[in-house]
Amino acid sequence: MELRSTVPIMTILATEALTKRYPRVTALDQLTVSVGTGVTGLVGANGAGKSTLIKILLGLVPASEGSAQVLGLDPATQGQEIRRSVGYMPEHDCLPPDQSATEFVVHMARMSGLPRTAARERAADTLRHVGLQEERYRPIGGYSTGMKQRVKLAQALVHDPKVIFLDEPTNGLDPQGRDEMLRLVHRIGTEFGISVLVCSHLLGELERICDNVIVIEGGRLLRASAIGELTQASQVISVEVEEGLEKLAARLTEVGETVAVEGRALSLQVRADETYDLLRDAVVDLELNLVRLEQRHARIEDVFR
Amino acid sequence: MSQPTGVIHDIGYRHYDGPRLGRGAAAVALGVHSLRGTFGLGRTFKSKIMPFLLFGAMMLPAVVSIAIMALLKQAPMSYTDYAIFMQAVIAIFLAAQAPVLVAPDLRHRVIPLYMSRPITIIDYIGAKLAAMMVALLILLAVPLTVQFIGEMLIDLPMPLHTHEYLAALGGSLFSAVLLTSIGLTLASFTPRRGLGVASVIAFYMFTLATSAVLTGVLESEGYRDASSWSILINPFFLVNAVQTNLFGTQPVEGLPFPSGAGPALILVAVVALALSGLYLRYRKALAA
Repeated sequence: MELRSTVPIMTILATEALTKRYPRVTALDQLTVSVGTGVTGLVGANGAGKSTLIKILLGLVPASEGSAQVLGLDPATQGQEIRRSVGYMPEHDCLPPDQSATEFVVHMARMSGLPRTAARERAADTLRHVGLQEERYRPIGGYSTGMKQRVKLAQALVHDPKVIFLDEPTNGLDPQGRDEMLRLVHRIGTEFGISVLVCSHLLGELERICDNVIVIEGGRLLRASAIGELTQASQVISVEVEEGLEKLAARLTEVGETVAVEGRALSLQVRADETYDLLRDAVVDLELNLVRLEQRHARIEDVFR
Repeated sequence: MSQPTGVIHDIGYRHYDGPRLGRGAAAVALGVHSLRGTFGLGRTFKSKIMPFLLFGAMMLPAVVSIAIMALLKQAPMSYTDYAIFMQAVIAIFLAAQAPVLVAPDLRHRVIPLYMSRPITIIDYIGAKLAAMMVALLILLAVPLTVQFIGEMLIDLPMPLHTHEYLAALGGSLFSAVLLTSIGLTLASFTPRRGLGVASVIAFYMFTLATSAVLTGVLESEGYRDASSWSILINPFFLVNAVQTNLFGTQPVEGLPFPSGAGPALILVAVVALALSGLYLRYRKALAA
């Protein structure tokens, strides 16, 4: 029975005051989060504790304090069952260059416990889904970064997991490769019905594909919310005019908007749709020449401003 | 949700609802995959050359021995000394193939992918050890068995060397266990295959030379006891001594091995030491 597509929202994983201390650094500090179905982004700078969290959730590293659960199982004691139903794509390179993608993914499927024939079928299917065609028979050593990322994704998907952890899947990709990878991640969460926890240090990237975002910093939870709330709260537009930036700033402050002068541009918090109208009217009234008006991409820094 | 009916081509994502075998099946699959790798099966033609060349070299004495039995009606070559005479070939096989099993996964950081699956690090190491042991056992036992079949088929005017053959099989098992433990551990300390090959060969050469020199010096100085122990520094002589004491066969070249359980205890201790080293090595690799 396939339940995952019919159950609307359920908790895929949760942590409760999860703490991980290494001899010289605290990687996770009292982290309490809950992740439901769909695509969830985990955002944080390098060293924020993203990889440590994944290792604990996979049951590979014990937590110092607190508890966690993945698919209703406890990583501390039921790591093996968790790893049967979870896929993991690491951030670093992890592919042997002398094997073909097909050989490698078949092998990884068997390591997940799939019988030989099933492993072959699943590997072929999965490689097709991630977009590797004829090149899958060639040794991985000759692949582009984009193709390698796809193989890494395929090995995490080949056993049809219920949840998949992706650690910086767009690392090293060019803008087009990024878009393709993000589309793929989104499809996994929606079409494939596999819940995704995707780590990134770029919030702008995640807001395009995630339903929810968790922001961590220094091992602490900074914020967890639906993506809509987050981008609304951090919606900032950047305004540039030829002359009279101060006049514009003064006028906007007068009418109750929040502005800040940043070099040659003005950053304006968008309260509601009428903010745009007020800006337009102010520019017209002051007879200024508008050079640039653009939506600033929300960055992690904006979240805790 | 009702399943769509009458759909012929479904190119969308399909979930897998077939059997999921456990950790044991995965470990066995890894062992078989690794064993095939030691002979270059399922790999490029280039990686088959070395193991098969060495296997051919191991078979040579058995084939010659069969020819001599058939033509001259002479006794076959000693079963119990076979590994000693062919030690260079066996050592090269170990040096060439042990790094094949462990180095690529370390070098290309594939191990986290294994660890994100039900398989554990113990299963992983176990599968690699088993693969190397079976490979060495094939290398050692097949020539002995071929020669024994030859001896059975050729009607020699003497009794069959069944006891020697079986003792040599036992010795092959000890060799496989000892050499695998040492070889894989040494190879696992470097992620580079070439260095792994060099370190295993260097280790063998070192034991070969030390054993020979020490034995010679101690004997000429009159320390007969110490000299008989120092022979055992060479792992092949160590196995021969265990085989001699355990099965009551003739020692190679009538060497005066220490009698009793001493050599066997040394063998067990060396294996235990090597395996602990291997385990610690992978513990460290996981922490990184």
